Formats: sequence, C-alpha cells, structure tokens
Amino acid sequence: MRRKPHDTRIGMLLALVPALLLVVLAALPAFGAVGCDLNDADRDVPRLFPGATRYQSIYVSIQKKGGAALQHRIEGRLGERHLALYAPIDVPYTIYEIYSGPKKVGYIHGVNQKGQFGGIQVFIAQDLSGKVKTFYIQKMTGPAAAKMRDPRFAKHFVGVTLKDFDSYDPITGKGTGRLAHVPNPAPEMETDFFGVLRGLKKNLVLMDAFIFSGGNP
Amino acid sequence: MISKFQIAYKSLLRKKVRTLLTVVGITLSSLVLVSLFGFNQGYEKALNHDIDNMGYQIMVMAKGCPYEAATLMLQGGKGLRYMDPGMVRDIAKRPEVQATTPILMQAFFDPNKGESGGIAGYFGVDPSSYPAMKPFLRFRKGSWFVSDTAREVVMGYEAAELEQREVGDMTMVPEKNVPLKVVGILERTGTQDDGTIFVPLKTLQQIAGTDKITTIGIKAKKDADLVRLENELYQLPDVQVVSFSQVKQTIMKLIGTARVMVLSIALIAVFIAMVGVANTVLMSVYERKQEIGILKTMGAMPHDIFVLVWTETLMLCAGGSVVGIMAAMLCNGITDLFIRRLLPYAPSGGLVAIDFRLALYTLGIILVVGLLSGLYPAWQAGRMRPLESIRSE
Repeated sequence: MRRKPHDTRIGMLLALVPALLLVVLAALPAFGAVGCDLNDADRDVPRLFPGATRYQSIYVSIQKKGGAALQHRIEGRLGERHLALYAPIDVPYTIYEIYSGPKKVGYIHGVNQKGQFGGIQVFIAQDLSGKVKTFYIQKMTGPAAAKMRDPRFAKHFVGVTLKDFDSYDPITGKGTGRLAHVPNPAPEMETDFFGVLRGLKKNLVLMDAFIFSGGNP
Repeated sequence: MISKFQIAYKSLLRKKVRTLLTVVGITLSSLVLVSLFGFNQGYEKALNHDIDNMGYQIMVMAKGCPYEAATLMLQGGKGLRYMDPGMVRDIAKRPEVQATTPILMQAFFDPNKGESGGIAGYFGVDPSSYPAMKPFLRFRKGSWFVSDTAREVVMGYEAAELEQREVGDMTMVPEKNVPLKVVGILERTGTQDDGTIFVPLKTLQQIAGTDKITTIGIKAKKDADLVRLENELYQLPDVQVVSFSQVKQTIMKLIGTARVMVLSIALIAVFIAMVGVANTVLMSVYERKQEIGILKTMGAMPHDIFVLVWTETLMLCAGGSVVGIMAAMLCNGITDLFIRRLLPYAPSGGLVAIDFRLALYTLGIILVVGLLSGLYPAWQAGRMRPLESIRSE
C-alpha cells in the first residue's frame, strides 16, 4: 500500500512530459494551404506602416477562433458562400502585429481574392481602432493591373473602416458613402475593381472577427 | 520489497534540478541524433520520389551548366538556351528509347507581383506525348488540352490555389497579355508539378515568338542500357545530357558534406550529454558514500551496488532519450521547415522520416553509450570499502 503515492508520482511525471510537448506544439502555427503573406515582410512592413520599429507574425484560423459557426457568420457578413477558393476552415491567416518601440500600434493583414485573370492579394495596415492606414495590392494579373496598384488609387482607402461597408455592397456595386465614390482607375477591368473592394471588405471582416471583436489572440 | 528501480528513482529525485538538467541534455542530444538519422533516410526517399515522378529518366537540353539546368527543371524555372525541335525525332529513333517529349520552359516578367515584379513560369508540353509520360497525374477537375494549339492551360493544384482559378476561368500571360482558358486543375501530387502551369507547346511557342524548345524528356525502355544511351546522347552537338541518377548522386554528395558536419555536432552533443550523465551519477555516488557503506555491511555485494548505480544511469538515459525521440517525432514538421530554409534544393515530401525502427536504433545507441559512461561511477561505487565509507564525512 505504501508504494501507491510513489507509483502515482512516476505516472504523473511520465504523463506530464508528452502533455507539455503537445501544449507547446499546439501553440505553433499550422502549415496547410496557401495563405497570404507579405513577399518580404522585413522590407514591406516599414513601408506599409511608417513608424513601425518591429513586427511579430501571428497565425490565426477560423477553425481555432470559432469553427464552422464563425465561418457561417463571416460568410453571412460578406454575402459570399466561399471565403476564398481552396481555403479550408483551418487555413492559417498571417497577421503582422506592428510595434513602435515596446508599444503595439497596429496590424497588417492580407487576403486572397479571386480576380478576372488571377488571384488578387489585398493587404491593409490598420491602426488599433481598425481604421485603414495603408492599402496595398501585392499581386494582381491583368492588362491594367498597374492602374489598380497605383498608390493614387490606394489613397482612396486610407481611413476606411468596416462601417463604411454598411452603406455599400461591393458585390452589387450599389450603395452610398465614400466607397461608392471611389473611381475605377481601369474601367476595362470592372470585375477586378469590384474584386479589390470585396477583398478589402473580406480583410476588414476577418480582422474584425480575429482581432477587434474576437479578442486579441 | 523495494526494487532496484525504485531505489534508483528515489536517488535521482534527491537532486531534482541536477537530474532534470542531465535528462534535458540527453533529450536534446537524442533529438538531434534521431532527427539527423531521419533526415538521412527521408531526404533520399523524397529525392527518389521527385525523380520517379518526373516521368522520364533523362533530359537533353542546350549546353549550359547541367546542375543549374536540373535545378531549374525540378523547380520549374526558365531554360537556359533553345534547341532545335528536330532533335526529338533523331533521339526517338534510338533503340533504347521508349518515348520522348519536347518541352519549352518559358518565363515572363510580371511587373505586378510584389514591389519589384516577379517571374511567371510556363511549361509548354506536347499534349500527344507528355500526359502519357505522366500517367500518375490525376485531375481534380477538367482534363488536358483539346488540341496542341489551344489557348488553354492546365494548372497544378498550388498554382490554381495561388491564382484562385477554377476550370472555365481565364488567366493571362504577363508581359504578353495573352488570355488563356483554364481547362484542367490537377490533384495535389506533392511534387513540383503542383506549382506548374502547363500550356500546349505550340501555343507557348507562339506566345514566346519562337519555334524552338528548351528540353527533351526521354523515357528509356525497361531493359535499356542507360549509361550507353547517355554516352550516345553526349555525342550530339551542343547538347547537355542530364540523367536524374547523376543529378541524384551530385545532390547527395553536396548534402553528404553537410550531413557529416551535422553528424559530428550530434556526436559531440551526445558525448557532452554522456559526460553529464557520468558526472551526475558520480556525484550521487560520492554523496551516498555512507549509505553505500551501510548497504555493504548489511550484506550487499559489489555486484549489487554496481547494478544499483548502473540502473540510475539507465533510467537517466532511457528517460531522456525517449522524451527526445518523442519530441523529434512530434516536431518533425518544424524540423522539416527549418531544414528546407537552409538547403539550396529540397525535394518535395517529408525530408525527415523518423520511423519506429529508427527510434529504436537511436534509443539503443543512447543506452549503450550511456551505460558505458555509467561504468566508471558504478565501478567506483562497487569497490567502496564498507567501514571506510561509513566513517567518511
């Protein structure tokens, strides 16, 4: 009978080691389908978020943040059935937390959006209130893609918040407010113009679900 | 009655921090050792898989550096120089050759990729010969091109994922602004085909403004003498012959140097860990001099004391190496990613393959080396004189 506490301790010790290992591994990012990362984060972060002194990449998935229920809510807010082609629920989204000295000052996040001739990668830099500081199309394919990637076009989105999409639907292209007045720089690429706006909304909705309403991971 | 294992376990628990640090040392060294063995096994397997999935054993291309050419080919890059397509017919006539396929690898500059633009690569293939060489390619949706001049593309899974394309969508060749229709998306293969965009050869030649090719893929007959065929192909003017068995040998040689270096580091780590084990057990023996003396006066033989101390060594090594091996198995994916970042060329598929056999092998090595390092402390403990030990401070 005296052996029992001793045996229990050995058992606990043996059980603890793999358990600790699993906890550590669970905290590490999962690598699955293609996400949307900055091509060169060390170079891109200071350009997209002036004043940033360092950044930290965190990985969030809809699976971890709320599962199928969250996915349905996000799809409902976007009015689209699929968040992105080939994007399973556990696809890891990379969020760059931006710091100025020791203080966190904002985020950078990108999404893949279907365009007319290829994938569009829409990135936004947001301050801590969720307002867009910088808008950047990292990749786009098409004869007039350069016009969409022009910094003058990007400036139209500075200061945009998710609230701006309450009065504007990027699927129908109908609505009021500042987004309704954003001019299409390449009228021959109307599908891509609305693709960019849908990508922007998707980005804002995901950031709202992951960070601003969903709590900081 | 209390067993030797229980006594050894209790002795180790007396100095918890010291024991923990020793176990951590063994854990780390076993982790490195088993991961290295896993890499040894996994890299070659992955490379073989990549080469088998090429569908052809030999490539002929215009003269240039064969290794650069092979790497470009494996990674889907731009060919170095062009070749006359008439050469395909000449090669196909050879008795050792079962089939040939002409390929044009072409890269176009896409200014709208990232800040300073990027390269978009296309793989021009002959619809009548290329699919037959790769019968293992399966379509997720759609099929191969309807004709050899069709303005169509077939996309590898990851290419379709990145470009957000479905069958029926349009895609555009940058620089040339030529629209092409997506007619097929391949299932994931785990090879370089996943990131490839296939275009009918003639279509790509038309877009690129050339009637040449960059490569000829050659599938030899099963009983063909590959060395002889390679030597014959070398006689052709201005061509470079790349045999995948040669490529494999060269890559393995390059990797071999790195492997020897890492193996040396792993062995040093194991050696340091074992010195730590010897030190821990020896300290524990000296601290228990009186206790050992009492055991001996009660009738314990030198052999019993020897076994008791050796059991401590065994427990330290077994505990540390089991945890290390488990950690290596669980962290397999992370190790894989880390190695991929370091290597100039890494084949697709798992680079670190740790199986049960390898785990047992590593455990055996650590236990044998550990027990050897425990010999001296155990011997010291066994030869202690009882009365001297009891009297000692």
